[in-house]
Amino acid sequence: MDNFLQDLRYGARALIKNPGFASVAVIALALGIGANTAIFSVVNAVLLRPLPYQNPDQLVMVWETSLARGLERNPASPVNYADWREQKQIFDHIAGWWYPQINLTDDYGEPERVRTIDVTDEFFSVFGVQPLLGRTFLQGEDRRDAEPVVVLSYNLWQRRFGGDASIVGKAIRLDGTPYSVIGIMPAGFSFPEDIEVWRPLGWDPTQHSRNARFFDVVARLKPDVTIERAQAEMTALARRFEKEYPQSNTDWGVTLVGLHDQIVGRVRPALLVLLGAVGFVLLIACANVANLLLVRAGAREKEVAIRMALGAGRFRLIRQFLTESVLLAMLGGALGLALAFLGGRLLMAINPIDIPRADEAGIDLRILGFTLAVSLLTGLIFGIVPALQFSRPDLNSTLKEGGRESRAGSSGRRIRSALVVSEIALALMLLVGAGLLLKSFFRLQGVNPGLNPANVLTLNLQLPFSNYSDWRQVSNFYAQLTDRIEALPGVTSADVTGFLPLESGWRLRFAIPDRPPTPPGEELVAQYHQVSPGYFRTLGIRLLAGRELTDHETADSPGVVIINEAMARRYFPDEDPVGKRLTSSVRSIGPLARYLPATIEYEIVGIAGNVKNDGLGRAVEEAIYFSHRQFPYRSMSLVIRTNASPLSLLGAVRDEIWAMDKALPVSDVKTMEELLADSMAESRFSTLLLGLFAALALVLASVGIYGVLSYSVAQRKHEIGIRMALGAGQGDILKMVVGQGLVLVAIGLVTGAAAAFGVTRLIRTLLYEVSATDTETFVIVSLLLGAVATLASYIPARRATKVDPMVALRCE
Amino acid sequence: MPSSDRPMIRLEGLRKVFFTDEMETHALSGIHLEIDSGDYVSISGPSGCGKSTLLAILGLLDSPTEGDYWLNGHPVAELSPIERARIRNREVGFIFQSFNLIGDLTVFENVELPLIYRGLPREERKRNAREALDRVDLSHRATNRPAQLSGGQQQRVAVARALAGRPSILLADEPTGNLDSVNGEAVMELLDDLHKEGATICIVTHDARYARHADRVINLFDGQVVEEIPKAAAAAN
Ligand SMILES: Nc1ncnc2c1ncn2[C@@H]1O[C@H](COP(=O)(O)OP(=O)(O)OP(=O)(O)O)[C@@H](O)[C@H]1O
Ligand SMILES: [Mg+2]
Repeated sequence: MDNFLQDLRYGARALIKNPGFASVAVIALALGIGANTAIFSVVNAVLLRPLPYQNPDQLVMVWETSLARGLERNPASPVNYADWREQKQIFDHIAGWWYPQINLTDDYGEPERVRTIDVTDEFFSVFGVQPLLGRTFLQGEDRRDAEPVVVLSYNLWQRRFGGDASIVGKAIRLDGTPYSVIGIMPAGFSFPEDIEVWRPLGWDPTQHSRNARFFDVVARLKPDVTIERAQAEMTALARRFEKEYPQSNTDWGVTLVGLHDQIVGRVRPALLVLLGAVGFVLLIACANVANLLLVRAGAREKEVAIRMALGAGRFRLIRQFLTESVLLAMLGGALGLALAFLGGRLLMAINPIDIPRADEAGIDLRILGFTLAVSLLTGLIFGIVPALQFSRPDLNSTLKEGGRESRAGSSGRRIRSALVVSEIALALMLLVGAGLLLKSFFRLQGVNPGLNPANVLTLNLQLPFSNYSDWRQVSNFYAQLTDRIEALPGVTSADVTGFLPLESGWRLRFAIPDRPPTPPGEELVAQYHQVSPGYFRTLGIRLLAGRELTDHETADSPGVVIINEAMARRYFPDEDPVGKRLTSSVRSIGPLARYLPATIEYEIVGIAGNVKNDGLGRAVEEAIYFSHRQFPYRSMSLVIRTNASPLSLLGAVRDEIWAMDKALPVSDVKTMEELLADSMAESRFSTLLLGLFAALALVLASVGIYGVLSYSVAQRKHEIGIRMALGAGQGDILKMVVGQGLVLVAIGLVTGAAAAFGVTRLIRTLLYEVSATDTETFVIVSLLLGAVATLASYIPARRATKVDPMVALRCE
Repeated sequence: MPSSDRPMIRLEGLRKVFFTDEMETHALSGIHLEIDSGDYVSISGPSGCGKSTLLAILGLLDSPTEGDYWLNGHPVAELSPIERARIRNREVGFIFQSFNLIGDLTVFENVELPLIYRGLPREERKRNAREALDRVDLSHRATNRPAQLSGGQQQRVAVARALAGRPSILLADEPTGNLDSVNGEAVMELLDDLHKEGATICIVTHDARYARHADRVINLFDGQVVEEIPKAAAAAN
C-alpha cells in the first residue's frame, strides 16, 4: 500500500512535469472512453436493463406466422386468441388488444387524438404492474354490456388533467361517449408504446371470423414454463387448428417472441455495431497513448537504467509504469464520463428516432462501473507495452548502444510502427463501415417513392362513431371537406386516403372470379387504400392504363377499383387487367367490418404506378385502391397539394375542418417531404453516428501517424543533417519522411481492408442495395484515409526539411 | 565550372557571428582566402578558433554573417536552397571527424547515397560506388553495417562516400581525429593519392604531422588567418 501510494505520487509528479503530454493523452482517452460510455449507456438502457414489469422474462408476444405468405409476426385472429386463453398449462395470463382511433373530448381542453388501445380484461395482470391510483380492469369488464370505464396513463393524467387525483371516478368523453376513469397507471407504463388510454375491449372475440387477423397478443408464461416448451405446445395447437379450421388456419403457425426481444430486437444490430465501433475508437486512442508513452520512455531510459543498476526489480518498475498509465486512463475516464453525459444529452435533444426505451438512458451505477472498468483496462492495455519494453533487463546493450541508437530508438521504433499500422487498419474498418452506410443512405434517398412529395400537406382526421354512425355520412363529410379546402387560395387540390404512402396499409383477401378458387392457405391478399378520385393527381402518381376514379361512383353504383402496377404484374402478367373483375369480402378486416357491406364485386378500371407502401427500402406490395365512397373509412388522411409552403396553409385548412365539426381533432400534421425523411431517420441516425466515430478514428489515427513521424524526425535529426550535407535537397527529405509514413499507411490499409472484408458482413442488415464488400466504397475510403494520413505525414516532413545541415558537424 | 584564370574559391571579408543567449561569438572575423583548383590546403589553429565554422561555410552547410564567397566565380549568397543542395551534392565531398555514416544503411548504400540524390541512373550509380569502395579497399565489406567496422574502416567508407560523386573539392574536418595513428596515416595517404590525381582538398587538422601532407598550411587564430605557410616551409619546420 505504501509502495502503491509512492508509485501514485511519482506518477502524478511525472504527469504534472509533462503537461503537454498529459493533456494530449487525456483528451485522446476521454474521446475514446466517452464515446464508449455514451453508447454503452444506451445499450444498457435498451438491451441490458430488464423491462420494468414483474418477472419480465416470462412475458412473450404471441404472433401468428405464415411463412408461405411471407408473414413472420402477424397479429392474431381474436378467435384463435380465445382458444389460446384456454391453455392454462402454458399461460398464467394472456391478453389481446387492437388499436381503435379515438378522439378525446371533455371540458379540460381542445379535442385531441389520444393513443388508445382496447384490451381484454387480463391485460394489466399480464404485466403485474399496479396502478398509481384507483384500479385496473376486473375480470369480465371487457364484455360488450359492461360499464364504460378507462384507465389513463400518467402522462395524459399530468398533461391534460394536471395530475388531479379527483379525476378518478369522473367521466371523460371518448368519441362523444362518456367513460368513467377508474385508474391511473404509474409513470413509465405505456405499453405497448406511448399509450395514453386503455379501454376494455367491449366485444366478444369469438364473434369474429377466424380469417380476420388484427389482434395483438401478449402473455405471461407460467413460472416453470420455458419459452421453448410453450412454443412447442403452441405449435402443436396450431397444427390441430390447421386440420380443424382449414378455411382459415391452413399454413398458419404460432410464434412466441420474448417481450424484450420484441421491443429491442429491431435496434439490436445497429446498437451492437455502434458499440463495436466505439471499441475500435478506444483501441486507436490506446495505441496513440501507448505511442506517447513509448516516446517518453525513450526519454527516461537513462533514469531507468540507473534505477535498475541500483537494484530496482523488474516487477517494481512495471508496476510504476502501470500506475502512471492507469492514472492517465482514470483522468481520461473522468473527462470521458462528462463528455458522454453531454453527448448523450445532445443526442437525445436531437431526438433522431425512437429507439425503444432510450429515454431511460442515463448515468447509473452500472455505467459508472463500466467506465471505471474500461478506464482500468485501457490503462493496462496502453501501459503494458511501454512497461515491458522498458524494463527488459538488458542493461549491457543499453550501455553499448549509447545514447543515439538506444532501445527506445530501434525496437521501440518497430513497436511504434506496428501501433500506427493497427491504428490505420482500425480506422479503415470504421471508415469502410461508415462509407457503406452512407452509400446505403444515398441509395435510399435516391429511391423513387412513386409520387411527387413537394408541396404536399398531410394530416389525419377521425370521425367518431357517435356522430357519424352512417357511412354515407362519413364519405359525404370527406367529399365536402375536400371541396371546401380546394376552394382555399394556395391550394391546388385536396384529397383523402385511408393510408398514406410509406405507411403499410392493412391487407384484405380478394378473389378473381373468372379463375378457379384458390386452395386454403393460398388466398390472394393485397393492401387496400380508400381514396377520393383526385388522389392520384394530387400526389403525382402516374396512371399507367385505364381511367381514374370519378365522383359518380357511389355506394349505389357498381364497384370499381384501381390496382397498382405490382398487382397487375403479379396477377395479370399476360393480359390487360382493365375490365377484369375482383371480389372481396371486406368482412375479413376486423371490427370495422360490421359497418361495411359484405362481399362485393369490383371492376378494375385502371392501373396506377407503384408507390412505395412499405417503406423506401422495401419492395412495393400489391395494392388495391377503392373509392372512399364505396369503401368508407372513419380515419382518413388528407393530402393537400399547395402552391405555397404547405405548412403555411395549416391554419386555413384547420378552420375549414372546424367549420364543419368543431369537436374534430387534427392530428399527425406533416408535409409529404417530412414523411419521406422520417422513413429514413433510422438510416440517417446510424449513418451519422458511425460517421462521427469513423471521423474520430480518422483524426486519432492521423494524430498517431503525425506523432510517430514527428518523433522519428526529432530522433533522426542528425541523420537528416548528414543527408543534407551529402546533398539531399528538401524534396529528397520530404519524400523520405512522407515515404516512411506512406509505408506504414499502406500496410495499415492493406491489413484494414482485409479485416474489413471479413467484418462488414456484420452490418449487412443495415445496408440497402450495397454489398458489404462494395469495391467502390473500399477504394474511396482507402484513398481518403491515405490522403489524410499523407497530410499528417507532411507536417513532420516539412519540419525535417528545416533541419540545419550543420548538425552533421557536431558530435553530440 | 572550374576555370584556370579564376580561383576555385574566393573569400573576402568573411565574418561569422553566432548569437546565443545575449552573447555574440565572433567565430570568423574577416577571412580573406583563395583556393585554386588542385590545391591541397590544411587549416590549423587552437580549439575554438573557427576552423569548423570556416569549413562549413566552404561546404555550403552554413552561410556567413558578412562578406563574400565566390565559388567558381559565382557569388554563393545568390544561390537558392535547391542550388545549394545541388552544389553540396556535385561539387563538394565531405569527410567528418565522427565519420557520420548512417547506421541503418549498409556500407555500400552509404557510399551510394549522394549518387542517389544526384539522380544518377542505377547502373552508373552502382559502378561508381563499387569503384569508390575499391579505392579504399573495402569492397569485401560492402554489405556490412557501419557498426560492424572498425573506426579506421568507417572513416575509409566515409572517404569513399565523399569521392564517389567525383566532387571538385574534398572538405575534411579532422578526419583522423577519432583514429589511431596507423589508421590516421592510412586515411591521409588516401587523400595524398587523391590529390596526386588532381583533387582539390581542404583539411582541418591540428596535428602537425598530418598538416605536412598539404601544399599550403593556413593558421587561424580568433577567427582570422594569422599565417600561411607554403609546403616547403612547413616541411622545413
Ligand atoms: N552553433 C553555434 N552557436 C554558437 N556558437 C558557436 C556555434 N558553432 C560554433 N560556435 C562558436 O564559434 C567558435 C568557433 O567554433 P568552431 O567550431 O569553428 O571552432 P574549431 O576551431 O572548429 O574548434 P575545435 O578545434 O575545438 O573543433 C567557438 O567559440 C564556438 O563556441
Ligand atoms: Mg572543429
